[in-house]
Amino acid sequence: MNNRLEEIRKKHGIKQEELARALEVSRQTIGSLENGRYNPSILLAFKIARYFELNIEEIFIYEEEEKE
Amino acid sequence: MKKIYTAYLLAAVGIGLLAVGVYFIKTIDDLQGLLAVLPYLSVGIGCVIFGHGMGEIVLQHASNRDPAAAKDLEIEKKDERNIAISNRAKAKSYDMMIFLISALLFAVAIMGIDLLLLLLFAFTYFFIIMYTTYYRYKYYKEM
Repeated sequence: MNNRLEEIRKKHGIKQEELARALEVSRQTIGSLENGRYNPSILLAFKIARYFELNIEEIFIYEEEEKE
Repeated sequence: MKKIYTAYLLAAVGIGLLAVGVYFIKTIDDLQGLLAVLPYLSVGIGCVIFGHGMGEIVLQHASNRDPAAAKDLEIEKKDERNIAISNRAKAKSYDMMIFLISALLFAVAIMGIDLLLLLLFAFTYFFIIMYTTYYRYKYYKEM
């Protein structure tokens, strides 16, 4: 799953620390989400979407794996 | 507030068990079999309970002194990624523990070790397996 979190966060002029504090998660979690190393739970995905007043699909992009 | 009282109670119980254990170790020296182990067990459990209680007391006092740091600590504790990492590490170590205990059980069985000790190992292994089975069934019904 890809996401546009970093792009959206920067567009809003928010630091990782500020976003982490608002969402009540660690700064490392925000970093991992932005790098695509960690996929959030559906609850955290909703919290992020609500924070930016967007739909989940506008932040997180689900890509089905190509079958060979 | 209730948490700190519990912590003080735990620390007091720990000290009590420790004191009882040390007293029996110093005064009684002709205990046989399992009874001989009891004072040492009391000291061990007392130390663990005291340590846990003291840890909680220190944590509560530090939290009261610096609420911002306490909030950060709580966020770190409840952070879903940290919990996922911890759970994954625990799952890995569980698999390793099961493998090691079964290997150890087999090794002590062929070494002809005392039957009581062998049964203790076997019971521990069985208990862990049953504990896992119980929670697997519980979560299966819940989810």
